[in-house]
Amino acid sequence: MSAPSLFAEQELIDSVHAALKAATPLSIIGSGTKSQIGRPAQSDKTLSTSALTGITLHEPAEMVIAARSGTPLAEVERRLADKKQMLPFEPMDYRPLLGSAGEPTIGGVVAANLSGPRRIMAGACRDSLIGVRLVNGKGELVKSGGRVMKNVTGLDLVKLVCGSWGTLGVLTEVTFKVLPKPQRSATLVLHGLDDANAIAALSAGLGSPFEVSGAAHLPNGVERVSATLLRLEGFDEQITYRLDALKKQLHRFAAADYVEGARSAALWRSVRDATFLVEPRENAVWRISIAPSKAAKIIAEIKKSLTIRHFYDWGGGLIWLSLPATGDAGAAAIRSALFGTGGYATLVRGPADIRAAIDVFEPLSPALRVLTAGIKQSFDPDGLFNPGRMIAGI
Amino acid sequence: MGIAFPIPDNAIILRREAIISGLSALIPPESLITSEDERRAFETDALTSYRRMPLAVVLPTTTEEVAAILAFCNENGVKVVPRGAGTSLAGGAIPQEDAIVLGVGKMNKVLDINFGDRTMRVQSGITNLAISAEVAHKGFFYAPDPSSQLACTIAGNIAMNSGGAHCLRYGVTTNNILGVRMVLIDGTVVDIGSDAMDAQGLDLLGLIIGSEGQLGVVTEAIVRILPMAEGARPVLFGFETSEEAGACVAAIIGAGIIPVAMEFMDKPAIEICEAFAHAGYPLDAGALLIIEVEGSDAEMDAMLKKIVTIAKKHGVKTVKESKSATETAAIWKGRKSAFGATGRIADYICMDGTIPTGQLPYVLRRIDEIVKSYGLRVANVFHAGDGNLHPLILYNCNDPEEANKAEEAGNDILKLCVEVGGCLTGEHGVGIEKRDLMRHQFTDIDLGQQMRVRAVFDPKWLLNPAKVFPLDGRISP
Amino acid sequence: MQTNFTPEALENPAMQASEKILRTCVHCGFCTATCPTYLLLGDELDSPRGRIYLIKDMLENNRPATPQVVKHVDRCLSCLSCMTTCPSGVNYMHLVDHARSHIEKTHRRSFSDRVFRGILAAVLPYPNRFRVALLGAAIAKVFTPVLRHLPGIGARIEAMLSLAPRMIGGRSPLERPQIVSSEGPRRARVALLTGCAQPVLNPGINEATVRLLNRMSVEIVIPKDEGCCGALVHHMGHEAESHSFAKKNIAAWISESEGEGLDAIIITASGCGTTIKDYDFMFRNDPEWAEKAAKVSMLAKDITEFLATHELPATTRATNHTVAYHSACSMQHGQQIRDEPKKLLKSVGFNVKDVPEGHICCGSAGTYNILQPEIAGKLRSRKVANIQKIVPEIIATGNLGCMTQIGKGLSDTNDSTPIVHTVELLDWITGGPTPKAIEKAGLKADIAINTLAAE
Repeated sequence: MSAPSLFAEQELIDSVHAALKAATPLSIIGSGTKSQIGRPAQSDKTLSTSALTGITLHEPAEMVIAARSGTPLAEVERRLADKKQMLPFEPMDYRPLLGSAGEPTIGGVVAANLSGPRRIMAGACRDSLIGVRLVNGKGELVKSGGRVMKNVTGLDLVKLVCGSWGTLGVLTEVTFKVLPKPQRSATLVLHGLDDANAIAALSAGLGSPFEVSGAAHLPNGVERVSATLLRLEGFDEQITYRLDALKKQLHRFAAADYVEGARSAALWRSVRDATFLVEPRENAVWRISIAPSKAAKIIAEIKKSLTIRHFYDWGGGLIWLSLPATGDAGAAAIRSALFGTGGYATLVRGPADIRAAIDVFEPLSPALRVLTAGIKQSFDPDGLFNPGRMIAGI
Repeated sequence: MGIAFPIPDNAIILRREAIISGLSALIPPESLITSEDERRAFETDALTSYRRMPLAVVLPTTTEEVAAILAFCNENGVKVVPRGAGTSLAGGAIPQEDAIVLGVGKMNKVLDINFGDRTMRVQSGITNLAISAEVAHKGFFYAPDPSSQLACTIAGNIAMNSGGAHCLRYGVTTNNILGVRMVLIDGTVVDIGSDAMDAQGLDLLGLIIGSEGQLGVVTEAIVRILPMAEGARPVLFGFETSEEAGACVAAIIGAGIIPVAMEFMDKPAIEICEAFAHAGYPLDAGALLIIEVEGSDAEMDAMLKKIVTIAKKHGVKTVKESKSATETAAIWKGRKSAFGATGRIADYICMDGTIPTGQLPYVLRRIDEIVKSYGLRVANVFHAGDGNLHPLILYNCNDPEEANKAEEAGNDILKLCVEVGGCLTGEHGVGIEKRDLMRHQFTDIDLGQQMRVRAVFDPKWLLNPAKVFPLDGRISP
Repeated sequence: MQTNFTPEALENPAMQASEKILRTCVHCGFCTATCPTYLLLGDELDSPRGRIYLIKDMLENNRPATPQVVKHVDRCLSCLSCMTTCPSGVNYMHLVDHARSHIEKTHRRSFSDRVFRGILAAVLPYPNRFRVALLGAAIAKVFTPVLRHLPGIGARIEAMLSLAPRMIGGRSPLERPQIVSSEGPRRARVALLTGCAQPVLNPGINEATVRLLNRMSVEIVIPKDEGCCGALVHHMGHEAESHSFAKKNIAAWISESEGEGLDAIIITASGCGTTIKDYDFMFRNDPEWAEKAAKVSMLAKDITEFLATHELPATTRATNHTVAYHSACSMQHGQQIRDEPKKLLKSVGFNVKDVPEGHICCGSAGTYNILQPEIAGKLRSRKVANIQKIVPEIIATGNLGCMTQIGKGLSDTNDSTPIVHTVELLDWITGGPTPKAIEKAGLKADIAINTLAAE
């Protein structure tokens, strides 16, 4: 294990001190592939972690990997793949959807708390992240967590930082627990189900003992004939048995066939990256998180006032939705449909003027807003980092 | 015994009558405990070497009552020590003389179950195992399974981010909770998260889980429930030495196999647990691994074949598969009762450090040396897959000198865990027990950041204040 | 757990024993989860761990019991579920017995409480007095609407009257001392504890026992001077009285044992079994009685425990009725007898099902359902609801107290499922008459084909 690159880390600390002194807010980026997400930057200067690269620890037998925050995600995944391991949370790649270029960094993955279809079983980035080092807005180097997967020592700032979109500090190093890559992966496909039945089928699959690791539904319009997908991963013998068992269990919904290998992998990559909604490029794209049993009703409700294309992941718990980027890009209608359901909507693609005008992330209740502002203040009292990116005024 | 408590605030103690009368206006009489006899039963938790008599004990039955109590305490500067079932081994629920205890034991109802969404809403005083019991008939369960799951509450699990034997596969509390209803110290009720997967804004849920009752009082939780595997089969692997067992664990993981649980016991622990549970643990083994696999019979056979092949390469002496549900229950009963069963032969303090699993052989050897150097004995039980150790240091608590030695030995062990790249606590929490060791793991800057976040929720440090952070150098905003 | 007794206090053998128990407890809290009163009340003081703490402080300081301690100890059912749960092996039974006796010695109960407990202690252990009392109760039932409003004791009187039967049968011939010779060559000789309340309320249980044992070539003796086992007063903390009951029984059985010999002392009420098996502890420091008490405790066997080690007579009837087996606390926790009764019932053809949450008490617990009617009533409803979940045709159990308590719960919910003693079912299927409750419910078991052929 090599020590964190202290030189680059120190430079970063110096930059923060300089910004503090000059009272210059900073846009924190890795390689900038997701910089179009969130409210538009309100800072003149940019601080990049791109100089902080390199894997600092990989112990395959302990299932742990650590890397400096500017390390390309691809490098981390490659290193793991060499040892037949993977990041369990299947981080999505936003480049197709956003049309951005560059190599996503591992720090960016953490800042955005990325996840993918395996979220339902293996969690999001937050669930695999076990340690962070970051520079806070006072120019202090703070560490939380560590390199062991079970650790409840002190407040869990690891989770808090994960998904904070660079508003709390500049990550310098991140550590993950990892999993072995499954030996075999196959996807059961049911055709022709409507949204409600598809979600019921996915729920039945996810309620089965077969460890479904992906559960998506592509309605008519996304696919020519709607396709309901359930992914199984594991040992060879396991998959053979489970494909058959699950097929029988879901027979009451529709007959199923299955795909494997590259075809299955490509399918889930598309689901992960929401490539179905890349076109038309000028459309706005929303990501809605909701309890699966409410998903189809929400979509029906939204369709009453908006023309949309959509598909579901996470067994119906995640809705991807594309619609024309006019007016508020559907914000009011979507949020009113979600009111009281416990669901959340995030505008992940939209023109800057709309992103400046509406709440990109789900607005907070007054009490949560007070807490969020307090936490921001505790990390970054001068409001240096990505001010207003998540919430106007914070 | 070496752990200090803050000096009680005499002004509060002198106002005890007024405080009690204020509380009595907020809750029914059977929810307020004031007599000395009755308060005494709440003076400690499962870390009984430390005891402090609280001002009063309140056992509210609704979120509204909790809100009224906290608002009252906040206005009056009264400290509050939240309590679930009082099973903390780290002293997480030990009161203070100038604090009231707020117990959630009366709030133990299931509020809603949604099998389709695989979620369940419960009051926080429900026990961990009662959650699973409620959904077992439909083949579901709540995954985190701390050894005290029979008795511990989900409130306490949330406070400590509890783990368990099966978290290698299913994660710990923070990976299995979707939302909480929490009362802040000023009485504000906030809902954080919901029955959806990703919450809005900062991950406050992640922050609250594991915050040891210092950010607020959780009164309800939305938990994930998972489908049970088709079958589960624990297998006992007896080794001659701990080194062999440790190497076997590393080899299994190295081969890309993640059993749902991999538990380790050394010889003293095997003997203690076997005497209680009659689970068929190999009494002639120097070290025992309980490895559990799940799935259909054929799947388990296939998986076990791979594991047994690896174990044989590492010198396994006995392999014994569970043949029935009764045997499986006995095997787990023995493991989960390890701490309590130790009480049959001696008093103990239970450590909870985590280490990188590669360091297992070295750390086990050092633990033995450390404990011997104090003239004491140790029994080791732990979660081998994730390196979470539970050395039980045996001593006589009626002998003050021995009690001090046990505590010092424990501190040495925890420092060792940090030295090799691990941490002070893997699942029990810091409580008072490890509070004064925090500077071995964190810098003042690290702790300062944590304390500033803490103070956002509780600026006056009224919630469980004697815990987690060293008493000197505390920060308020 | 750390303890703090003075050396002088520890010279008292009772204190010594309790100190040892307290030292074993590690305060882990597991016991709270399986304690019926904690489940209902959610207050640690009404859990074993809380009570242990209250008792510890009282004994360590050798203080008189305070009203608070009395309240929480009184609420304990002595179901001993905590002892099954406890990984550390804390003998809660002996600790709470000590506490109860300490309470009786140091605490003056309210006038109404004293009178009420005094009456129970003076009546229940004596079949003749009990019979007369029940006649009175049958009349008093009419006045329940008035009596329930009596201050202090109204609820208890109501509970007591509601449990009393409307009618009581005549005297069973088994109430007299006697020897019932076995059919065929004698294979074993046992004493049968006829008990106190049971033969009055339900003589059928012992009658079935005698018939069944008889067919198994077991000779049964009902010794002279045998009487109440002492459990009822023992649980009220009346140590002297309970010891005097116990001594009478010990003397009676030892005399039989030293005379023609005894292979076992058969007990058909598990509540009594728990106490008789504890005689050895009660008299451990009494040089005159220790050895005899130990012998009796060793000979004491629940009827199902005895049957499990002997061959049952051949079945004469065929059954596959669904039986909910309710394990009495004194059976499963007090005596740790779990599987034997179920195995026996299965062996004669019944479809035996466990009751969900079966480890939790029904609220009967000796005189508890009279002394603590509110908690007992809640536990009864909970138990009956759990039994009803499995929709049984018959409910079987091994303790009359539970039968009375659950029977009341069933009738409150208009449920006519019969509840009988395990031994009544075994007797029925192996050649005995149909138990009254079964007959009343209209359940039938056909004569077995092999039996018909033999006839």
